[in-house]
Amino acid sequence: MFASLRIILATLLALAFAGVAQAHPHVWVTMHSELVYAPDGSITGIRHAWSFDDMFSTFATQGLESKEKGKFTREELAPLAQVNVESLKEYGYFTYASADGKKTELTDPAPGYWLDYADQVLTLNFTLPFKTPVKAKELKIEIYDPTIFVDFSFAKQQPVQLLNAPKCKLDVVLPREMTFAEGKALSEIPADQPNATMAWGAQFASKILVHCP
Amino acid sequence: MSIFPRSEVARVALLAACILLLIFALDIVWAQPFGMARGAVPPEAGGFTGWILAKQAEFYRMLSGLIRAAKADGSATYTLLGISFLYGVFHAAGPGHGKAVISSYLVANDETWRRGIVLSFASALLQAFTAIAVVAIAAALLGATAKAMGNTVRVIEIAGYMLIVAIGLRLVWVKGRAFLQVAGVGATQYHVHGHAHDHTHVRGHEHHHHHGDDCESSAWGHAHAPEPSELTGDHWVKRGLSAIIAVGLRPCSGAIIVLVFALAQGLFWVGIASTFVMGLGTAITVALIATLAVGARGLAGRMAKSKPGAGMIMLRGMEAAAALVIVFFGVALLSGYIVSERLM
Repeated sequence: MFASLRIILATLLALAFAGVAQAHPHVWVTMHSELVYAPDGSITGIRHAWSFDDMFSTFATQGLESKEKGKFTREELAPLAQVNVESLKEYGYFTYASADGKKTELTDPAPGYWLDYADQVLTLNFTLPFKTPVKAKELKIEIYDPTIFVDFSFAKQQPVQLLNAPKCKLDVVLPREMTFAEGKALSEIPADQPNATMAWGAQFASKILVHCP
Repeated sequence: MSIFPRSEVARVALLAACILLLIFALDIVWAQPFGMARGAVPPEAGGFTGWILAKQAEFYRMLSGLIRAAKADGSATYTLLGISFLYGVFHAAGPGHGKAVISSYLVANDETWRRGIVLSFASALLQAFTAIAVVAIAAALLGATAKAMGNTVRVIEIAGYMLIVAIGLRLVWVKGRAFLQVAGVGATQYHVHGHAHDHTHVRGHEHHHHHGDDCESSAWGHAHAPEPSELTGDHWVKRGLSAIIAVGLRPCSGAIIVLVFALAQGLFWVGIASTFVMGLGTAITVALIATLAVGARGLAGRMAKSKPGAGMIMLRGMEAAAALVIVFFGVALLSGYIVSERLM
């Protein structure tokens, strides 16, 4: 009786674990970001340029009318840009900012966002303003999709730039692949210790760190 | 004497609770991003899960390059099909309510593993077919935009989710009654062991009143429960058709993106072949998981036979729980609590 119970439980465990995997990326974004500062040294906004992968770019532009086949102007892409930006709102633009350890709110993008199409790749350009400009000794901006439908990574060349910033130190932390040992260690953390797991997870986001005097 | 069956009941209750917990744990992982405060931490995945995620992402990313390659060199199509197959296998091990709904359906309905495999393959193939139909009609014929296709998929998926709820509710009605009945009989037995004779009679009458028609159709003499097959009625194919449609109606986002990309490259047929092979891979994984579920159900059934009273309660309880899980998934999907992969 006990033995068979154990077999059943083991089977169900296996079943549950088979389902524990999450969504995987269907969209890949390569990012360039600029942090815009006011003359008084406070940061006012984040200017993103997100390039989508070729497969998603093709999908997104499917059926869009253009004067020249295979090419799209900003005007032709304007409705799509609007759809993109509006649907990003629901996801908080995948951008999370904190100043000196405190969560800082960003507002909806200013008008004037646009989409570019070059080499079969769509690039979305938009600026996320800070609700109130902040001066911070330590500014942290993380970009990720908690549902992992979209995969974010920084561009290899000049991923992040500071515009008009006071003398600040910029660090770009790339999300790194989890090594097998790390993955194993993570899977061995008991489920009733979520804190340990969560502290671990923060290492795997694309992060911008700015230290100012 | 009376202590033994009681502890048996406790153990059965524990088992039922474990099953529910596990199946819900499965959901929490999916729902977490939407349940938890935004901006807390990015999700993390490690070990086996992380490996599955990494693999499917890797295969998926290879698809675009291979479709381009197939344009110049036909032999790249074979590689594309191989990768599509692997992608399907890994993808089904990942997200998706399909395997959870199918497994729960099989457990609730006491279907055989053969039927489980048929259901898995039929729903996966239907899924491939819907994706192809959507892209062929919307994109290839009508020149619809991605947004229009996204909206089409939304309508299709709502229909599918509503069907899941309907199937679940019907099963809850049938299985829940069977469970209450057998649990009632069980309670009566323990009362007999105990002391309340009057109560026994009252319970017995209630029962007769409600379920007079199927009270006598029991296979296991001790418990007055109807046979599952009689409860579900119809032929199993007819019965399973609704489950196939409910699970297979919603096309996979990845397949649609791949199809549109292939169409844009002028290689729509390559996209179609890739989609069907993906479906085949998906079917294999879902069939494997479904077989495990049926195996677990079979074990429970054998245990139940050795312990007529409590065993039957456990069995019916498990079926009712599985039916509830189907309703839960349907409602969660409909309400957007579990969000499946979104297009545009």
